[in-house]
Amino acid sequence: MRYFRLTRVTAVLFLAVFLASSAAYAQNRAITGIITDQTGKPLQDATVSVKGTNTATSTDVNGFFRLSVSPGANRLVVSYVGAKPKEILIGSQETVSTALEITDTKLADVVVIGYGKARRANLTSAQTTVSSKDIERTVNTTIEQAIQGRAAGVYITQNSGQPGGGISVLIRGISSINGNTEPLYVIDGVQMQGGGTTSSSNTLAGINTADIDNIELLQGPSATAIYGSRATNGVVLITTKRGKAGESRLNYGFQYNLQAPPKHLDVMNLPQYAQIVKEYHALAGGTTPTEFLDPSLLGPGTDWQDELFRYAGMQKHQLSMSGGTTATTYYMSGEYLKQDGIALGSGFNRYGFRVNLDNKPREWASIGVNLNFNQTDEKLTTSSEGIISDALQITPQVPVKNLNGEWGGGDIINGANQFAPVNPVAIATLRTNKNKRRQFQGGLNVNLTPIKGLLLRASFNTDINYQNQLFFNPTYHIGWAINPSATLDNFIGQGSYWNFNQLAQYDKVIGKHNFSVMVSHESQESNWRNLRGRRSGFLTNNVFDINAGAAPGTNEGGSGEWGMESYLGRINYNYDNRYIVTGNFRRDGSSNFGSENKWGNFPSLSAAWRASQESFFNIPEISELKFRFEIGLTGSQGGGGIYSPLRADPTDLGTGFLPTRYGNPELQWEETKTTNFGFNIGFLKNRISLEADYYIKNTSNLLMDKPLPWYMGTSGIGAVGNPVTNIGELQTKGWGITINTVNVDNKKLRWETSLNLSAFKTNIEKFYSDAAFVDRISWWMDNWTQRSAVGEAPWLFRGYIADGLFQSLEDIANSPVRVDNNGARLPANATTGVWVGDIKYKDINGDNKIDFRDETNIGNPWPKLFGGLTNSFSYKGFDLSILVTGTFGQDIYNHIRKVNSKTSTIYTSRNLLVDALDYARITMKNGSPVLENPNTNVPRFTNSQVGNDNNYNTTSTMWVEDGSFVRVKNISLSYNVPNSLIGKQKIVKSIRATIGAQNLLTFTDYKGFDPEVGSYVGANSNSGNQAIGLDYGRYPLTPVYNFTLNVNF
Amino acid sequence: MKKIQQYIRPLIALSLLVPAVLSCKKTFLEKPPTDSVVDANFYQSDEQVLAATDLLYSKVWFDYNDKASYNLGDFRSGTTYSAYNDRGNVLFNTTDLTPENEAAWRSFFIVVGQSNLAINNINKYATANVTPAIKKMAIAEARFMRALAYRYLTMNWGEVPIIENNLELLNDTTLKKNTVKSIWRFITREMRAVAADLPETAIQAGRLSKWSAEGMLARFYLTRAGVEATGGVRNQSFLDSARYFAERVINNSGKSLLKTYGELFKWSYDNKPESLFELQWVFLAGGPGYGVGNSAPSYLNYSSEISVEGWGGDKGATYWMLGNYEGFTPSGDTMLVGRTLDQRLRETYMLPGTLYPEITQTVNNVNQKLVFPYNNQDVNFASVKKYVVGKSADLGIPVEAQRYPNNTYMLRLAEMYLIIAEAILGNSASTSDAAALAAYNKIRMRAGLPERTDPLTLDVILKERFLEFAMESSAWYDLVSLHYWNPTKAYAFLNSQDRGYFKVIPDVMPNPTQWTIKKTPWATTDRKINANSGNFLLPIPAKEKSQAPNLAQPAVEYP
Repeated sequence: MRYFRLTRVTAVLFLAVFLASSAAYAQNRAITGIITDQTGKPLQDATVSVKGTNTATSTDVNGFFRLSVSPGANRLVVSYVGAKPKEILIGSQETVSTALEITDTKLADVVVIGYGKARRANLTSAQTTVSSKDIERTVNTTIEQAIQGRAAGVYITQNSGQPGGGISVLIRGISSINGNTEPLYVIDGVQMQGGGTTSSSNTLAGINTADIDNIELLQGPSATAIYGSRATNGVVLITTKRGKAGESRLNYGFQYNLQAPPKHLDVMNLPQYAQIVKEYHALAGGTTPTEFLDPSLLGPGTDWQDELFRYAGMQKHQLSMSGGTTATTYYMSGEYLKQDGIALGSGFNRYGFRVNLDNKPREWASIGVNLNFNQTDEKLTTSSEGIISDALQITPQVPVKNLNGEWGGGDIINGANQFAPVNPVAIATLRTNKNKRRQFQGGLNVNLTPIKGLLLRASFNTDINYQNQLFFNPTYHIGWAINPSATLDNFIGQGSYWNFNQLAQYDKVIGKHNFSVMVSHESQESNWRNLRGRRSGFLTNNVFDINAGAAPGTNEGGSGEWGMESYLGRINYNYDNRYIVTGNFRRDGSSNFGSENKWGNFPSLSAAWRASQESFFNIPEISELKFRFEIGLTGSQGGGGIYSPLRADPTDLGTGFLPTRYGNPELQWEETKTTNFGFNIGFLKNRISLEADYYIKNTSNLLMDKPLPWYMGTSGIGAVGNPVTNIGELQTKGWGITINTVNVDNKKLRWETSLNLSAFKTNIEKFYSDAAFVDRISWWMDNWTQRSAVGEAPWLFRGYIADGLFQSLEDIANSPVRVDNNGARLPANATTGVWVGDIKYKDINGDNKIDFRDETNIGNPWPKLFGGLTNSFSYKGFDLSILVTGTFGQDIYNHIRKVNSKTSTIYTSRNLLVDALDYARITMKNGSPVLENPNTNVPRFTNSQVGNDNNYNTTSTMWVEDGSFVRVKNISLSYNVPNSLIGKQKIVKSIRATIGAQNLLTFTDYKGFDPEVGSYVGANSNSGNQAIGLDYGRYPLTPVYNFTLNVNF
Repeated sequence: MKKIQQYIRPLIALSLLVPAVLSCKKTFLEKPPTDSVVDANFYQSDEQVLAATDLLYSKVWFDYNDKASYNLGDFRSGTTYSAYNDRGNVLFNTTDLTPENEAAWRSFFIVVGQSNLAINNINKYATANVTPAIKKMAIAEARFMRALAYRYLTMNWGEVPIIENNLELLNDTTLKKNTVKSIWRFITREMRAVAADLPETAIQAGRLSKWSAEGMLARFYLTRAGVEATGGVRNQSFLDSARYFAERVINNSGKSLLKTYGELFKWSYDNKPESLFELQWVFLAGGPGYGVGNSAPSYLNYSSEISVEGWGGDKGATYWMLGNYEGFTPSGDTMLVGRTLDQRLRETYMLPGTLYPEITQTVNNVNQKLVFPYNNQDVNFASVKKYVVGKSADLGIPVEAQRYPNNTYMLRLAEMYLIIAEAILGNSASTSDAAALAAYNKIRMRAGLPERTDPLTLDVILKERFLEFAMESSAWYDLVSLHYWNPTKAYAFLNSQDRGYFKVIPDVMPNPTQWTIKKTPWATTDRKINANSGNFLLPIPAKEKSQAPNLAQPAVEYP
């Protein structure tokens, strides 16, 4: 008998009822027996049937079965997931016991699915499990890090390498072009929409990864559609550990990490900088400081990267206890994690505890409770203050500290003018940006089994969070930079969420027909409220409280609500574990839509055929073969947009109100129809198994902030925000393959390999208006633009194709250049036009001039292929695991290299990359300028920022780089201390020690710090306009060396 | 007993399902914003309708006022320059990539969009509780702002699209530009309607009155006389209208010139009697203060010695501009020497040694009254004084960088006098008309200069406008007005200016009696610009052309 199990408790209850009632069969003869595996362990839920009939039953916890068979029956078929079916001749025996050979334990696993559980072998949908075992292998401070490289179809990039930093998770490509493509996270029933944040911190950072039992990545439409309107981006189900009946287990885990600083970017040292300053003055006029006249006399100057980056430690202590009786089980844990950042001004601490409790007061009732409290403390100064890009730009002539102990800065003595970046080490040290979050997650569920096969459950889950962010800018005097008045900005936010679900499930077995029906109703609601206070005029720099500042100061508020009501159901049918059909339906009503469009329906259907279970299937090499097909509808409900809110601001005339957004009452759901084809195949008793999926996702009614032209008043201070609209349609096609092999398996050595590879391609099919494209412009970064156009992938980099540098006047004369308002060529002129040594751009449309019509797609931020390869070896007490991840074909726009190659910034006392020393040098040949170093690709020096500066600032292929990389993501070597060593004492039961390294090696041609560039999280970005694939001083990921010790008592 | 038990379990179980049957209340899914009002339930009272136009006096202009105002209005026109920054504008090479070009374009269209929404929402949502006069006035305020924004738009970019209802265009990609003449016709028509709808006395200091609109009409007609010029001859009836409205404003508005020029810019000068329209900035600390305060002073303050933050160290009067002040006489081709009686110099630009008791200077942690320092290097600056008001101690309120409370003049009575002089001069080469001279001298003599009795010419009046309104983002628009009917003269004017590096040397420090203004000998390039029909107007920003290809189509007449 096979059926969907909702909880362990249900199964137990069900069996109890079953046993009591199974005496009903009387006319036939009864056969009993015990089914075990090859080691003699009883198998629960093995199916025992009479060959050629529908008469069947399944085994209980003890492997025991009782089957009433007709007198003519002579053969039983015993089957079990992950084992080859076995036929038994019964003859006249009354007791038949047999052992099955289990070939694949994984298939027998019970996995968590949306609103229930299922046996892996019977999954009809694409979903991947990351178990606690996988999680323990890597060093993870936050959840998403544990998934990286582990699952096909899941593309993860870390937006910031800052401790506790945010991550972009894309499940199965891009299903939406709005700001949020992050999946829905369901943590023990608490539903949290991921992402949507543009800060460098991470909303899921509070969860202790050691508490996680497993993570399920729901990818296929049948698995996700049960979450309906929030599931388009995939669903991540996270289940925390629960206790098991038996002796209590006490575990202590300790981890120490040493995080290494990044490799150096080659910026100029002092002699090199002096040299270029000297050359600048020779070209542009002005006086070179005396000490720069002979650069060879100078020392190396300040190495700002050395000053900013450091080796940093992280330590984690974890204590957990679990156990219980048959009536009550518990899991309790506590954690303390302290992580320093490799860059000054960053760090992450976490404290938390969890209690998961299950109680079964009656055979037909059980109650489960989970409680989690956590607190995270983050230091955000590095990212919020642009410290890393400043460190790359500040001149080496400025010391970190002056001889008198004061912070060094640009001033008369140190040189460097007022436009130089302020000492980043000082800023990282002086400014405080602390973010404290506290989160309570908890839930209560009541399960009843009033009659056999029926489960009724009510669950209530909640998430309450609180945030306190302190930003203190003290008074300081760092060279030219003077802050005469200290300010404190204190932000307090609180939010709450609740979810109330009522669910009924009925399971029924009639012969080989297994039915399971589930219906449920759910309501959920969340609200948030913020308060921000700000004062300046603090007389001390060490009391971080509003009261210590001068009244009155300013304040801000903010609040919001959201609500959703849903009806959902699922029918699952399987025949003899061979033919499996699942149908899901969900109807959601959301407060994000107007009265006409509140409700949406999200159906899905899936089917699987386990061909290997057929009696005619007789290929001994193939131990498992399953074909899957699924089709379904999921949705995205965005973040509202039906209203046009007004914002209040003061003026001399009184408080004024302005609309902040064009409202769109007609807004509708975004809908994704997904078709998925997949198969699972296992060879040689599943020593080799392969899972492959191909999917096509068609998204319509794409929700998006519709970027209107600037003439609609939509960009800038006081602007009317772009309306949220249903803008168009896109299609994503992709595939994912996972191959697991057991290469060697003998008594001494076991070697397993797991490889996953995935690719996706997204294409915008159409826009509903007659617009051909939408642009996202980072106006604060030289108008860097990403475009979504019909027929293309979303968010391609937009710009010109750079075609080297102008070599001579003749070269300029023969090339198209920018034109004035009359269409006349801008003159070949060193200050107002283009000149020898400026970047030459390609005339794409052939109209012999360079203008916006020559912009084209110059980069694609999406990878063409990505994957992970894990090799694990077990030898005696040792476990070695190596994870290599790779991402191929994605482009990065290296804005740091652009800014740090711009020679004209020398006049603002900014340092450059060493490569910039080879700037285009102009020399006179036969009275006309030519390049002395014609092969360089660094534009010439300019003394002002006129046409040539715009020429330089133009976004072009010059700064687009291939971001492909292969990374040795993780190596860990563990040693289980053998019992022979610890067996003599009674206190310690087992000891496991691990050493490892993370991000040990990265192979890439990318010239920046780190090719893993996620979404831009710096200043000015917002969820509707977040640059993808743009690197501007992103906090890099660096090697981490770790030591872990686990002791069980 | 057993029987009862059989029923108890299902009953308890059923109770779990009760909520499912009941389901949520209908209002559960109605969640309008809790932290702000929404358009549909605002505009319900006089206060709310007025609040809907308050920010049209400040925030919507912020991005223009920020840096674009002086970059376009003063750098391009040559009164002021920046030695190391904003060079595209200084050297008259503003391209479709120049940041201030984009900021100004965006900001003027924010004014248009928000004004349109205010008009639309007031018409749509205002209830019977709103006094008709208030409703009429608020709509007139929004139309005033929109017309003024279009004046800036067409003078900077020429042909631009006129938008009167943004809501109709949310799905439109076919909007076309309109012709310059029809834009001027539209904004004059609008301003006449506004003048009829605005009250004679502003209901609150700083709010628009009928006279603000008529003052604008005087300005519009003077320019439109050039727009509608035939063969280089300005339209006489528009010149007459300009004079008519200027005189009406002088005679009927109750406004008056301040006694001394200095009072115009000494904190707190907001909404003084000379003002016809000014942007209403307030100080508010922190994040919320950005956008409602005046940010321009932060870029003009020459140093953090006199302010929270000073980025204006390389900005100051051009060599050409200093030569306009009477008393500075050329000595050869490379030097100006002298002093001036014109009080406007002190209030507009700072020369080394000049004392500003109203501003506190902090040097080495010691506070003192500002004496503008003499920096004896190859290049130094006559830094900007206008709108520079000092620091917290000087203002008596806290201020932070980019959040100054001092207002920005958009139209003041002084301009009416110079409009009269120019309207009377009209198409003649010169005039000795008593009314013209009287109006002209009213402005000149307030600045401390002796009366002029010689006939007035266009050059004399233009020069007076530059002196009076330098650093008020005005000179550029005077040149655009000239360009409508005499482009050659406008180019010649610009191309004659010297915009290169120089140094100001006081004869003694402190209390100098005269100054020598000397061109920096090695700075021989970039002194002159080349204004021509190809670069006179701003090109529409490249990003806008790229995201709105419809703007590449030929302009059409606006009805």
